[in-house]
Amino acid sequence: MARVIGGIGASHAPSMEHIYDAGEEVRESDEWQPLFGPFKDVASWLEGLRPDRLVVIYNDHMDQFFLNAYPTFALGVADTYPVADEGFGARPFPPLPGDAKLGWHIARSLVADEFDITICQELEVDHGVISPLPMVDFSEGEGGWKIPIVPLAVNVILHPLPSPLRCWKLGQALRRAILSYDEDLSVVVVGTGGLSHQLTGPQFGRVTPDWDQEFMRLLAEDPESLTRYTYEELIKLGGTESVEVVNWLAMRGALPADARPLVQAYYAHRIMGYGLQTFEVAA
Amino acid sequence: MELRDELPKDYLDRLGAVQPRDLPDELDLFDETTATRGMRLNKAAYSLKDEQQRELFRRDEEAWMNQFGLTDEEKDLTRRRDWIGLWRHGMSIYVMVKLSGVTETPLPEIGKQMRESGGANG
Repeated sequence: MARVIGGIGASHAPSMEHIYDAGEEVRESDEWQPLFGPFKDVASWLEGLRPDRLVVIYNDHMDQFFLNAYPTFALGVADTYPVADEGFGARPFPPLPGDAKLGWHIARSLVADEFDITICQELEVDHGVISPLPMVDFSEGEGGWKIPIVPLAVNVILHPLPSPLRCWKLGQALRRAILSYDEDLSVVVVGTGGLSHQLTGPQFGRVTPDWDQEFMRLLAEDPESLTRYTYEELIKLGGTESVEVVNWLAMRGALPADARPLVQAYYAHRIMGYGLQTFEVAA
Repeated sequence: MELRDELPKDYLDRLGAVQPRDLPDELDLFDETTATRGMRLNKAAYSLKDEQQRELFRRDEEAWMNQFGLTDEEKDLTRRRDWIGLWRHGMSIYVMVKLSGVTETPLPEIGKQMRESGGANG
């Protein structure tokens, strides 16, 4: 049977891609080390854990899905996930390896659990997946991507959004899906997005570090309390685009209650509150 | 049957919470109002995912705009790179980023305009 052996919460942002692509020297500069240094810790931790699969709970930014038909939850059931062209030409990464068989099992399990997801046999992933992922699972040169993924997209763009409670329950249902899979696989669940940022209106660039750090504390110590926040509250606390944090909440819902935070880093810089948090699960 | 039997309080609470109603003007939502208003502009900017559309934009911006049935006002906002105006007309920030790419507008420039906008797009 498959197992959930850890969790990762990580911000995603085009800025992270620009800095990654600018090379090691820029990543380790005084300006960016506070973000990329902790990512190296996550990469080492993951190297030790050696998970067989990553389930990545993220959101698309109108790079795969458009407003003609916008899915509330969408699950990848493909063996490969190309990198989307977000309007600037796609980044030069090879397609990410997937696991269609696990994806289909998760699809059946979620539907059995009354999560009626959109099932995607083709899916291009955008910076919601590939801005944090190279920092934890990509070796340049020969190695490429190491760990096959199953992507699970949540609508955090077009209101009405699935409630924080619903996203938490999605994580719990994802956990059942993984535990009921009949192959002996170890899985790390990743939730990407946030933390605070505001990209529209007169508060463009507003970052709220106090709330971001409180969010990470609650996610570790009392995650269910976060299910009682409304989007109105989350937007006031962290900004219009900060609602992506529900992807972290879904990730946490897939972990056992006694999962413990390990790597924890926070860096408010320019227009983003960047967060990074890993959870270890007792064997 | 009384109405409240079919519409219990917990349902009404969920229905109330699903639509934020008490946000200040400076915190916007992309919802029924903005998504409906912005559909043409969003479709246009979304097309810029495609290199052929970007190439057409650079070569003949008017021909590019004509594909999407934009109103004269929407075309004017696009020509003038009026980011606040585009936002007020319902353009989502996520496709605005694609338009910023093809027009080589750095995000801080959009941010500078946004900060001067005074809010209220909904």
